Amino acid sequence: MADKREVKTGPAGARNQDLLSYACGLGGWLLPGLGHALLKMWGRAVVTFVLVGVLVLAGVSLRGNVFASAGPDAFSTLGYLADLGAGSFYFAARSFETLGPDVSKAAGDYGTRFLAAAGILNLLCALHACEVARGRKA
Amino acid sequence: MALTHIQAMLLFAVVASAIFAVITRRGWKEQIKYALWCFFLFLLVGVAVGWAMYPISR
Repeated sequence: MADKREVKTGPAGARNQDLLSYACGLGGWLLPGLGHALLKMWGRAVVTFVLVGVLVLAGVSLRGNVFASAGPDAFSTLGYLADLGAGSFYFAARSFETLGPDVSKAAGDYGTRFLAAAGILNLLCALHACEVARGRKA
Repeated sequence: MALTHIQAMLLFAVVASAIFAVITRRGWKEQIKYALWCFFLFLLVGVAVGWAMYPISR
């Protein structure tokens, strides 16, 4: 994987680096893998996209709970924040899950956890891309 | 789609291990080694916690 990147020095270089890191963080959150793709880390981008996608698909197929913003309690709000971490995949999951959640069975519970895990793992990847763009991580 | 407990655990372990490896290690050999190690630990801890809960499961 192409990990070596040149870091321009000076105020303009630092500003560009900041912009790139914000773009990588935001892009990586919006579309899993986009942050790494912007840094030309193609392998990491593909792995992130596929694995987060697999977890979201599994979560939706198992009829997990895709939390909405207006939750009745703190746990729903936490679930919403975790789900939202998957970016565009969260909105795709909401539109795909036409039958609604079914957490009366264990499968639905697994689905809920998969969706939350997908969001958290995607946030982790977006933060990694952001840090790489800042030159703090390889 | 229906998954058993062990299948769900395996799916989560595979995905989480692969992502941990990809963002913490450089070079595919190191990444594969780390992913396998994480996967093994996920399974070990999952089975250990399962057995730890066995006495209170009935």
